Amino acid sequence: VISRVADHCFWFGRYVERAESTARLLGVTRELVFDAELPPEQCWQPLVIVSGEYPSFCARLGIEAAGNGEAVQQYITWSSENTVSLRSSVRAAREIARTVRDTLSLEVWQEVNHLYLWITGGEGQRSYTHSRQEFYNHVRRCTQLCLGLVRSTMLHEDPMRFLWLGVMLERVGQIARILDMHHHTLSGERPHQVVELSLWLCLLRACSGFEPFMRRNQGRVSRAGVASFLLFEAQFPRSLRYCLRSALSIMEQIWPGKEGVGARPIAALHALGSWFDALEPVARTISIHDLLSAVVDRTSGVCAVLGQEILGPPRPPSLRSAEQPA
Amino acid sequence: VIVAAPARTLFSEYRPLAGTFDELVDQHGAARPHALPLHRLLSGFAPEELARCQSLAERVLVDQGVTFSVYSDERGTEKILPFCVVPRILAADEWARLEAGLKQRLAALALFLDDIYGPQRILAERVIPLEIVLGAKHYLPRLRHVLPPGGVRVHVAGIDLIRDPTGTFRVLEDNLRTPSGVSYVLENRNVTKRVLQHVLEYAGVRQVDGYATELAETLRSVSPRGQDHTQMVLLTPGAYNSAYFEHAFLARMMGIELVEPSDLFVDADTVYVRTTVGPRRVDVIYRRIDDAFLDPAFFRPDSLLGVPGLMRAYAAQNVALVNAPGNGVCDDKAVYPHVPAMIRFYLGEEPKLEQVRTYVCADHDDRRYVLERLPELVVKSVDEAGGYGMLMGPQASAAEREEFRTRILAEPRRYIAQHRVELSTCPTWDAEGHMLAPRRVDLRPFILTRSTSAGPSSWVLPGGLTRVALREGSYVVNSSQGGGSKDTWVMQGARS
Repeated sequence: VISRVADHCFWFGRYVERAESTARLLGVTRELVFDAELPPEQCWQPLVIVSGEYPSFCARLGIEAAGNGEAVQQYITWSSENTVSLRSSVRAAREIARTVRDTLSLEVWQEVNHLYLWITGGEGQRSYTHSRQEFYNHVRRCTQLCLGLVRSTMLHEDPMRFLWLGVMLERVGQIARILDMHHHTLSGERPHQVVELSLWLCLLRACSGFEPFMRRNQGRVSRAGVASFLLFEAQFPRSLRYCLRSALSIMEQIWPGKEGVGARPIAALHALGSWFDALEPVARTISIHDLLSAVVDRTSGVCAVLGQEILGPPRPPSLRSAEQPA
Repeated sequence: VIVAAPARTLFSEYRPLAGTFDELVDQHGAARPHALPLHRLLSGFAPEELARCQSLAERVLVDQGVTFSVYSDERGTEKILPFCVVPRILAADEWARLEAGLKQRLAALALFLDDIYGPQRILAERVIPLEIVLGAKHYLPRLRHVLPPGGVRVHVAGIDLIRDPTGTFRVLEDNLRTPSGVSYVLENRNVTKRVLQHVLEYAGVRQVDGYATELAETLRSVSPRGQDHTQMVLLTPGAYNSAYFEHAFLARMMGIELVEPSDLFVDADTVYVRTTVGPRRVDVIYRRIDDAFLDPAFFRPDSLLGVPGLMRAYAAQNVALVNAPGNGVCDDKAVYPHVPAMIRFYLGEEPKLEQVRTYVCADHDDRRYVLERLPELVVKSVDEAGGYGMLMGPQASAAEREEFRTRILAEPRRYIAQHRVELSTCPTWDAEGHMLAPRRVDLRPFILTRSTSAGPSSWVLPGGLTRVALREGSYVVNSSQGGGSKDTWVMQGARS
């Protein structure tokens, strides 16, 4: 696969997954406010923090706004100044899809194009105003359909692998953030036990993990149990362990040789996996926030090595107007 | 007995323009024989039904992302090419004559290119003035004696035709560089299938599906490395180019890779593409980039754009470029008046297609004629396309005409003039009037030429791109100037 195309596929996967995750997080937090009977600031402020946007959010809207659900949703959903907003992610995914239009299948393109037109046209705005939860659900359905179509309509070879690698590595970061957000929510005053339970259930729902978790744990919900499930459950496709292993296995399919091209990102991801595995026995004794921060940082490191490996040194910008319209 | 007033149908108020040929009806408003089935079916439509088809069609195009980028807009705004669901329809025998004429014209133009980049016989025998050819902006003297792999230079051609008030088709211009628009032909047909399926089935229309396969075989036929291991790519300037949709579309249809200049590099006169597992050799490049941006080492040493060394690889016959560089000389509008002479000179035949009488401002007498009659004429720059660099004399202001007079006197070689032809019309949906209205159309057929053991062999896509000037009274069909398009139906002839 052409290097530039591989890079675009990787980022397409990341942006689609990021859009899905953002919609999940917003939808679930909104439900949390109703279910957990927590003060709004305790629900919304962590969401801004884990998105990495807290400083610029406060600079634009003031610290007080972080407790205002509408202000947070507006900023995380629509703001074009926020590069990780839902709209920015959808726009970026669609922009990239256009540049690798020939590599994606028609169905994948149509789905991401539909989502883009829906969000940027009036329909998405109307849905956001009149039925907020339906808005988040629609975005999730579109992104899930898009990724499902990737697997069911594209050739299972390198372009799809790079795309899926992007999905997996993005998901690692997103799950770590969601978990960390709950750490923030709980780190305030020790909440009532009922509140804590609804927080954990909410977290599981945010990761589509409610039913799988119950099946694994026969209905017993505990803080340690939920954290351990989302960190280490090897068979759950939204656990950190699953995503890290899956990413490694994709890289090994792309570069089957032990040496030469691909050796560096494989080594980096392998090291991350080993470090992560070694934490399992001691996970209860260390700060979960530190652990999650380390996962996010090390994953970014792997992505950086991967980017250098795929693309090589920077090259001149693409040509804009070399063919005259006829 | 009370007789109800007849319901308003699509054609009940349709009247062709005076002094203009209409593609679907005669001067009395009756359907032309080959268009009868279509006319009958559409007559059964109420205006609301056609309006519904029209908005469904537009919706399909937006959803599929069949868009072009607007040039002047840096942020890359996209628009759909406006589409009218009422097709343009061509009779089988008429199309057969056009097809023969197009093949003849292409054969002569190909021989002309071989000649001027080789022995220059036609110049030595003074059939065409030497300075017109060698002075053309897009003639590349450094390519003289460079032979294209497979012996083909014009793999993909788009010839623009118009039809005059007598119903005669005339060639308006030749596009032998990177003609665009074929993706709209194929997508327009897809849309027609969605919104007018029963009409299409009933009418007996020739397929256009075969284009991508023909194009892929055309590319493969000129591979310098034998056809079994050929690596073909489509070279695009990138996603911000106005024709990017078409580039991606054709790459997808052929299953070949879409590359940007920075994806390619040249080593030892061989072209490679950068991949995630190292360099891979490239044999055939369907390039949708102008000559000047192909290779900075050859064309513009100061430029960062393009693939350095590409022209050396081409000259060494290690890579085929589709189309060959240097073809632009044939698109020059001051060369165009000489095509009938080329046909006689190279083929010993009379031209089968008519042209439009053209006044070349480089010629002293023609120039005087043009300057005396500016208000009647259409003046065009010889090397611009897309409706740019034009003066429509009858509509222009006095100041605009004065500006062109100054320009012509300063650079006479750069301008030609023609009388405005009353382009034929086709019934077209007028959203404001909620009715069919006559709007002017042209036609761009696409011709593919592949290399065979018996020499070059041409194939013509049935129909081509019908562009339509959507504004009432407009003669300009270019998408950059408010034009749209229609599906073009070539009727199946009597089965033999």
